[in-house]
Amino acid sequence: MSADRLIAYALRGWFLVALFFIFVPIIINFIYSFSPSRFPTLPLGGFSTGWYELILNEAPVPRAFGNSLKAGVIVAVISTFIGFAAAYTDYRYRFLGKNFYLALALLPPTIPVLILGLVMLMFLSRVSLVGELYSVVLAHVVYCIPFAMALIRLRLAQMNPDLESAAWNLGANSWRAMREVIVPFTLPSIFAALALTMAVSFDEYLIAFFVGGLTETLPVRVLALLQGQVSPRINAIGSVVFTISMSLVILAQILLLTRRSGGRSIAAGGK
Amino acid sequence: MSEALLVLDKVVKRFGEHTAVDGVDLQISKGEFLAIMGPSGCGKTTTLRMIAGLEQPSAGEIRLNGTRMNELKPWQRDTPLVWQNLALFPHLSVLKNVEFGLKMRNVAARERRERSMNWLERMGLAEYAGRNIAQLSGGERQRVAIARALVTEPEILLLDEPLSALDAHLRVRMQSEITQLQKQLGITFAYVTHNQSEAFAMASRVAIMNGGLIQQIGSPREVYRAPANHFVAEFVGSNNILSGTVTALEGGQVTVQTAWGSFNAPTPEPAPKTGDALELVVSADLVAVSDSAGAEGNVLSGELISEEFIGSIITLYIDIGDGIVFRAQKQQHELDALDYSSGRKLFASWRPEHTYVLPQI
Amino acid sequence: MADKALTQPTAGTAARNVDGYALFWGLPLALWQLVFFVAPLVFLVVMTFWTVKNFRLTPDFDTVNWVNMFSKGYVIDTYFRTLWYGALGAVVCSVLAFPASYALAFKASPVVQRIGLFMLITPFFTSYLVRIYSWQAVVSDNGVLNNLLGVFGLGPFNILGTLLGTMVGYITLTLPLVILLQFFSLSGVDRNYIEAAQNLGCGRLRTVFLVIIPLAKTGIILAGTFAFILCFGDLVSPTSLGSSKPPTLSILIVDTVKQGNNWPRAAVVALMMVLTLIVVAFTAIFFAYRVKKEKT
Repeated sequence: MSADRLIAYALRGWFLVALFFIFVPIIINFIYSFSPSRFPTLPLGGFSTGWYELILNEAPVPRAFGNSLKAGVIVAVISTFIGFAAAYTDYRYRFLGKNFYLALALLPPTIPVLILGLVMLMFLSRVSLVGELYSVVLAHVVYCIPFAMALIRLRLAQMNPDLESAAWNLGANSWRAMREVIVPFTLPSIFAALALTMAVSFDEYLIAFFVGGLTETLPVRVLALLQGQVSPRINAIGSVVFTISMSLVILAQILLLTRRSGGRSIAAGGK
Repeated sequence: MSEALLVLDKVVKRFGEHTAVDGVDLQISKGEFLAIMGPSGCGKTTTLRMIAGLEQPSAGEIRLNGTRMNELKPWQRDTPLVWQNLALFPHLSVLKNVEFGLKMRNVAARERRERSMNWLERMGLAEYAGRNIAQLSGGERQRVAIARALVTEPEILLLDEPLSALDAHLRVRMQSEITQLQKQLGITFAYVTHNQSEAFAMASRVAIMNGGLIQQIGSPREVYRAPANHFVAEFVGSNNILSGTVTALEGGQVTVQTAWGSFNAPTPEPAPKTGDALELVVSADLVAVSDSAGAEGNVLSGELISEEFIGSIITLYIDIGDGIVFRAQKQQHELDALDYSSGRKLFASWRPEHTYVLPQI
Repeated sequence: MADKALTQPTAGTAARNVDGYALFWGLPLALWQLVFFVAPLVFLVVMTFWTVKNFRLTPDFDTVNWVNMFSKGYVIDTYFRTLWYGALGAVVCSVLAFPASYALAFKASPVVQRIGLFMLITPFFTSYLVRIYSWQAVVSDNGVLNNLLGVFGLGPFNILGTLLGTMVGYITLTLPLVILLQFFSLSGVDRNYIEAAQNLGCGRLRTVFLVIIPLAKTGIILAGTFAFILCFGDLVSPTSLGSSKPPTLSILIVDTVKQGNNWPRAAVVALMMVLTLIVVAFTAIFFAYRVKKEKT
C-alpha cells in the first residue's frame, strides 16, 4: 500500500474517532437509561424501563417536560418571526446604522449563556418579569433569533434579487409580493428555523435556570438532579431530550437540503 | 395634436452623487418598437426602470396617455418588464407564472387560466403549462417571461436586454420572434440593449444614450448614416472619423484639410465657414481598397496591420499614422484580387458623397 | 443611504422612503433586542456600581465592587486560570479537529461529506448538559472507562475532577463546531494551489503547513476563537467534570450570587468576562483577516 493511501486511511480513521468521541456520551446515555442498576457498570446488568416509569410518575419531570415544550413552541414561533423580519430587512434595505442593527441580531450567542442568564435575571427582576414561563420565553427569544435569522438570510441570498421587483411589476403590492413570492421561496428555511430554534430553546438550561425561578424546564430539572447525587433518572430524561432535540435538528437539516431548486441560477448568465 | 403614448419630460435620476440619467426627453408613440441603446452605465436600464416605477425620477415627469406617473408605485401601473435574467418565479409552475399578473388584478380563476393558456399556446408552450421553470430550456423560459408580461394586455411592454443570456443562434431566432409578435399585437415595445445589431434588426426607432443623455433618436438608417455627434459616430457601425479644417466651399462641396490628405464632402446644413474645424465620418463598408494609387474621389494610404474575418465579411485595419487606424469592410470575394498580407501599403478610397460631415457643436 | 440603488441596483430600490411596510419588518428585531438584550447589558454595567447594604441591593455609584474584586488575589488568579483554560481548550480542540476536518475536506466523497456534516451539526444542538452527565458516568473512578480498562489490568485512572476532565467537557462542547468551521474554510482552498505546491516539490507536511493552513487561516482562527468563547464562559464542564476545583470565572459568578448573594460583585466578574471576550474576538478578527489580505 502506498504512503498516500495509508495517510488517507489514517485521516479518515481520525475523523471517525472524532465522531465516536462526539457520540459516545449520547450512546452511553441511551444504553444506561435501560439498565436496571443504579451505577454505570460493565457488563450491563440487564434490560429495564424502570427509570422511564420512575420519571413519568415523578411529578416535576412531566411538568418540566411540558414547560419545555410549551416554551420551545412559543420561542420558536416568536424568534422565527423576528428572525425572518430581520433577515428580510437586511436583504431588502440599506440604512444608516445597519451594522449596529446586524450586531443586535447576531451578537447574543457570542455572550456566554451564563452571563446572558445572569444579566437577564438582574434586569427582568427589576421590571418584575421574572420567575414565570414567559420570562424564559422572553430571554430565549433573544438567544434564538440569530439562529433563525441566519438560516432564513442564507435562503434569501439564494433568491434572484429581481423576483420581488418582478412581482411588483406584475401588479403585486409590497404585502402581496411578500405573500406570493418571498414567503413561498423561503418556506423551507422558515420551517427549518422553527425546528432549530425550538431545539435550541428546548436544550437551553442556564438562562432558563436563572430567569425561570420555580418554573422549571426539563434541562433545568436535569441541572437540579445533577447537583444532587448521581441519578440514573437523568439517563432516562436525557434520552427523551436527545430524541426530541435530535429529531428537530435532523428535521431542520432535511428541510434545508430538499427543495434547493430555484435560486439565482435560473437564467444562466444574468448580469 | 395629441400626445404620444409615453412621454419622458426632462427626466433626471440621481443616486447620491452620481447622476445616472441627466435630463432625458423621449416620446414613444403607440405601436412603435423603440430600442434604447448605449454602453453599460449610460442610464438606459435606469430609464426603463423609471418607466416601470422601480425607480423614482429625481426630477422631470413621466406621462402615460397624458397622465403623470411619477408617484405611482410599480404595482399601480401596467408597464410589465421582461427582465434581463427573466426573473421567473422558481416556486411556481409555468402556468402559475403566466397567471401571476392576472391573479394580482383579481381576475377570476377560470378566466385567468383560460387567458394564460391562450398565451402559452400562442408561444408554443401549452404542453409545458404544468412544468417547473427549472425544466425548461433557455428559449422556452424566454417565451414564458414574455407571455407572463403580456398576459394582462398592456399598452406597452418593457424589455431589458432579455436576450443577453442566450447563445448567438437562439438570440437571432428570438429576435425575429419578438419582432413578429410586436407587429401582430401592435403593442408598443421599449427595448433596452447594448447590442447594436439587435437594436437595428428589431426596432423601428433607435435612441442612443450616453452619460445619462439621449444622443440621438431616429430610424436605424438615420442613426447609421447620419450620426448626430462624435459619440454616436463612434458607437454605431464601424465608422472612421477624421478631423480637419475647412479650406474651401464651392459647388455644394466642402473641402477639408486633414493630417491624411484633403477630402471633399457634401456641404452640410448649416454650412460651415472656411477655417472651421470639422469631423468627417466615413463608414467602413463604403471604402474601396486597392494596392495602387489613382482611385477617384477621396484617397488616403497606410500600412495594413491586421485583418478580421466574420463570416464572408472581412475588415482590414490600416494604420494611417497619427495613431489612427482606418477600417475598411468588404465582402471577401471583392478582395480576391488583392494581396492583403500584413505590412503592405494599401490605398483606401471613397466617394465624396459618401463622406458625412458631423454637425458642429 | 442614498447610494443604495447604486450599489445594489436590482433589489430594494423602491424603498425610498420609510413606510409602514419597512417598519413592520425592521422594528421587531430592534425593539426586542434593545429591550431584552441591550438594556440588560447596560444594566449590568450600572449594577457593578451598586452596593449591598444590609443584604439589600441599593442603587449607588460606588467603585467599591471593582476595588474589592480586583484587590482579591483569588479573583485575579481565577481570571488568568480561566483565560488559560479557555486558550488551552481552544488550542487542543483546534489541533484535534484539524486532521478530522482535513479528512472531511480532502479525503471524502461529496456524499460522505454530506453525511459527515449531518453527523456534526446534529449533536452540536443537542443537550450539552446531558452529554456532560454521561461523560461523568464514563470517566468517573469506577465508571465505564475504568471498568473497561480494568479488564486489561490497566488503571484505574483519575480523570474526574482534573484538568483532563474539564478538557473532555470543553472538547465535547466545541469539537463539532470547530470541525465544521475548519471544514468550510478548508473546502474553500483552491485545489490548484495544493497541486502547484506538490508539483514544485513541496512535501506533504510542508504543503499542509506552508500552503493549506495559511490559505485556510481565516476559518481556522475563527474556529479557535469560537472554541475559546465557548470554553471561557462554560459552567458545566468545570463543575461537573472538573469538580469546581480550582474554580473558573463562571463558577466564581455562581458562588458570588449563591453564597454571598452579592449581585454587584457577580456583575463585575461578568463584565470582566464580556470585555475579555470582546477584546479577544476583535483581536482574532483582526488577525484572521489581516493574514488573508496578505495572502490574496
